[in-house]
Order: sequence, then structure tokens, then C-alpha cells
Amino acid sequence: MRHVVQRTDGDAKPLSEPVLLILTSLAGQPRHGYALIQDIELLSGGRVRMSTGTLFGALRRLLEDGWIEPFEQEDTSRQKQAYRLTGVGRRQLELELDRMKQLTRAGLARLRASEV
Amino acid sequence: MDAKKVYEALLGLYPRDYRDRFAQEMLDAFEEALEQRRQRGYARFVLAELAGLFIGAGFEWIAKITADPAVRGRSLPDRLLTRPPGVSWEAHYGPSASMIPEEVRAAEQHVDLLVQRMVYAISHHDFERARQYSNQEREAREHARLLRRRFHLAE
Repeated sequence: MRHVVQRTDGDAKPLSEPVLLILTSLAGQPRHGYALIQDIELLSGGRVRMSTGTLFGALRRLLEDGWIEPFEQEDTSRQKQAYRLTGVGRRQLELELDRMKQLTRAGLARLRASEV
Repeated sequence: MDAKKVYEALLGLYPRDYRDRFAQEMLDAFEEALEQRRQRGYARFVLAELAGLFIGAGFEWIAKITADPAVRGRSLPDRLLTRPPGVSWEAHYGPSASMIPEEVRAAEQHVDLLVQRMVYAISHHDFERARQYSNQEREAREHARLLRRRFHLAE
């Protein structure tokens, strides 16, 4: 039997790096596949060069979860499908960034304490 | 060896519904990236892309086998449901489909795209947008039907 697990804010798992980078990239503006690859490389300071296989696999899962949606661009070729964040996706990104901020703060506090 | 042809061939490893939805987008993104990479690290880039396809295809098959079809349908609408009434499976998907003029193919792809958007809007309870797509889809389908007639193809 197949089960569908609905993710909620309370039991949200940390996002994988590709998902975090995609959501962060789309937080700025809607983008299509190659624009996402370029922006993710820029965002990560050249550290992450996402392959198309990884990117579109992640996009499919994000579409399935309703975190992103297709975005119709009126002034470009219809072959280039752009995507944008949904309200749910924005909320998930905010939660993840809050979690990271909290972890960073705690980690820095411990480092400082150990230096004294 | 033509990297694009190898890439296209490896896209065939993915499940059909995934290919129908994403293969063209993936190929476009790969071609753009390939152009940029011709000057630097070309071989490494192509190897990373091809390895990404193998791994991605494996994950997609696992996802297809294990996912609830209704959930998967949110990202990959069933193409069998998008086949126009009266058009045979062979005419719509079969080998003879490759003989279809580009103009007709583009019109039918546009119908598919509108159907996918409509299904997506419905699955997210955005009925106003779904209605807009439905109206656009009706016009696009009629346009595609007239094109098929003009080129003496089975409607």
C-alpha cells in the first residue's frame, strides 16, 4: 500500500542542498532551467555546478510538493518554461533559513566560548 | 562523438511521463550550458552531465514505482489523458508522429502544455486559472485540428 506523507511546518526536515539552492534562486525571480543552473553557480560562489539531471529531478519533486509552479512568460519563447516559488515554497525557504540562522548563531557562540 | 546525441539517447532511460514533460527542457538547458562550456572544462562537464542523467533516471524510476499516481500527477500529468479524442495512439505518439510537420507538432505541443497547466491549476485548486487554460486549450486544439486537416493528417 502506498502512503503519502504530508509535510508540515512542525516536522519539516532540513532541505537538501539542491532544493535549498533552487528555492533561493527562485526567491529572486522566476527562472527557467539554464538560468537556474547559472544562478545557482553564482549563488554558491562557483562551488555547485548542478547537472540538468539533478536540477530537473528536483524541479519535478518541488512541483509535486507544490513549492514551485510553472510561470508563463509572455515575452519569451514558450519552449522555455520558467518556474516560480509558491506561497508554500516561500514559507519552506523561510523556515530553512531561520533554522540555519539559529544553528549558525549557536555554533558561533560555542566557538567564541571555547576561545576564551 | 556528438555530446548532444548521446545526451538525447540517455534521456530515453527516463520514464515516459517524465520524458514527455521534461526532456525538451533538459535538452535546451544542456545545449545552452554546452555552448558556455566549450571554452573551459568541456569533457568534465559532459561526463558530469551524462552521469547526472544515469543517476537521475534511476531515481525517477524509483519515484515512479513508489509514488501514488495521484501525487505524481501533480507534476507529471498522464499523457494518455491528454491525447485528443478521436486521435489514435499511433498518430499521437507512434513512429509516424515524427513525420508530422513542425508547425503541427508545435501546435499540438502547445495544446499539451495548456492541458498540463490546467491539470496543475486544478490540482492546486486554482480554478480561475484552470478555466483560463481550458479556454485557451479549446482554441489551441481547434487550431491544431485545422492544421492537421490542412496537411491531410488523421485528425
